[in-house]
Amino acid sequence: MCAMNRKIMAVYWLVTAALFAAAVGMVFIWTPVESTMGIVQKVFYLHLPVAINTFVACMITFIAGVGYLWQRRQVWDDLAVSSAKIAVLLCSVVLLTGMIWGHSAWGVWWTWSPRLTFSLVLWLLYVAYLVIRPSIESRQRRALVSAVYAGVAFLDVPLVYLSVKLMPEIHPSSITLASEMKLTLLVCFVPVTLLSAGLIVCRFIMQREETRAMDSEDDTQTDPVPVGSAGGLT
Amino acid sequence: MTRVLQQIALVSGKDLRIEARSRQTLGLVVVLGVLIVVVLGLGLGPQQVASGMAATAVLWVAYLFGGVLCFEKTMAVERHDGALAGLMLAPIDRGVIYVGKLISNLALMVALALVVTPVAVVMFHFDLSAAPLGFAAIMAGGFIGFAAIGTLFAAAVSSSKLQGGLLAMVVFPVSLPLVITSTQMMMRLFGEGEPLGMTGVSVLVAFDAIYLVVSWLVFELILEP
Repeated sequence: MCAMNRKIMAVYWLVTAALFAAAVGMVFIWTPVESTMGIVQKVFYLHLPVAINTFVACMITFIAGVGYLWQRRQVWDDLAVSSAKIAVLLCSVVLLTGMIWGHSAWGVWWTWSPRLTFSLVLWLLYVAYLVIRPSIESRQRRALVSAVYAGVAFLDVPLVYLSVKLMPEIHPSSITLASEMKLTLLVCFVPVTLLSAGLIVCRFIMQREETRAMDSEDDTQTDPVPVGSAGGLT
Repeated sequence: MTRVLQQIALVSGKDLRIEARSRQTLGLVVVLGVLIVVVLGLGLGPQQVASGMAATAVLWVAYLFGGVLCFEKTMAVERHDGALAGLMLAPIDRGVIYVGKLISNLALMVALALVVTPVAVVMFHFDLSAAPLGFAAIMAGGFIGFAAIGTLFAAAVSSSKLQGGLLAMVVFPVSLPLVITSTQMMMRLFGEGEPLGMTGVSVLVAFDAIYLVVSWLVFELILEP
């Protein structure tokens, strides 16, 4: 990465960190404590933005998969795997924050309600996506299988969203918030989205560098044997 | 149209004839299915077994593992002596090969279900007579989607020289929405005595349709000799 890009990324991360600090300040100092759930309700300001960003990361993987099937360019596969890694990370945060919420609201860390179950399935789908990739030796084949898998795995995203409407559920489908709470929630969306986008971009840059390194390694291995070296006709 | 149907019948007929002559897959799959039912029956204990509701979940475990084995075997047949290259050279659409393989897999899974389901019904005191048609409809919905996606990934994984267990790794998470929906429907049908709800049926049919169409479209890209 060139020096200019490094500076841009440094500024980007500083802005994200500052916004995060501001959002945390708003959550704990300015926003009132919810009367029923108390301080644990604060986890909601992280839970919802991260959940929305998980869906976006899954959608990027899906779009990149379609892009690969359409154009067969490695760059699409690199983007797909980068966003899938961040999707798993974000989905883990969603599940953990959801469990904290659930323990306070329902008295159990986990319950098999449709939205929770389909969220866990989503996490499993993308973990499986990352786990099966290294098992496929050929890079083209790996990208192709992953692209198809990403397309099928993405079907779980609308199911997570629609599960509260389609099936009987204890997970809230809509929440009435005070105006300060609404504003805080909107503010929290900004640093979480910046963090998710930044992570995907950074992972994508690393993935591209790994791909270039593998390309040059392949080129070295397939270089023709120089005339007169061992193995030639004498 | 008749020509396409004939081609599909040829492809699936070939697979089923090989299976009828060798009887390798079905024997293996049925024994595995019965073993799973017995082991889970012992593991769950008398209280869980007496409730009668564990049967649907146990059956799905048996169908999932048995199904994956069927998908692997029907594609492995094509790997011997370059049979797949011959099949791909045949003047038929790749979609026809997919549908033929899908029908073979579905036939094997139905055969598996015909043996394993009565075993689970007896061992888990499951009152299937309460809604036999509902049970068959839900299982058919689950089977079609599971076999659709399993047939696709069996072709992909088989071409990639992957180890056997990895097909399960790919297919199980993708099949979970089908399993969850059908077990939820079973619990309402047999546990609470409610009729089949439109929501569950719609989700099953939607997943079946999407899995079938996506697999049929993508099979051509993924199939390699």
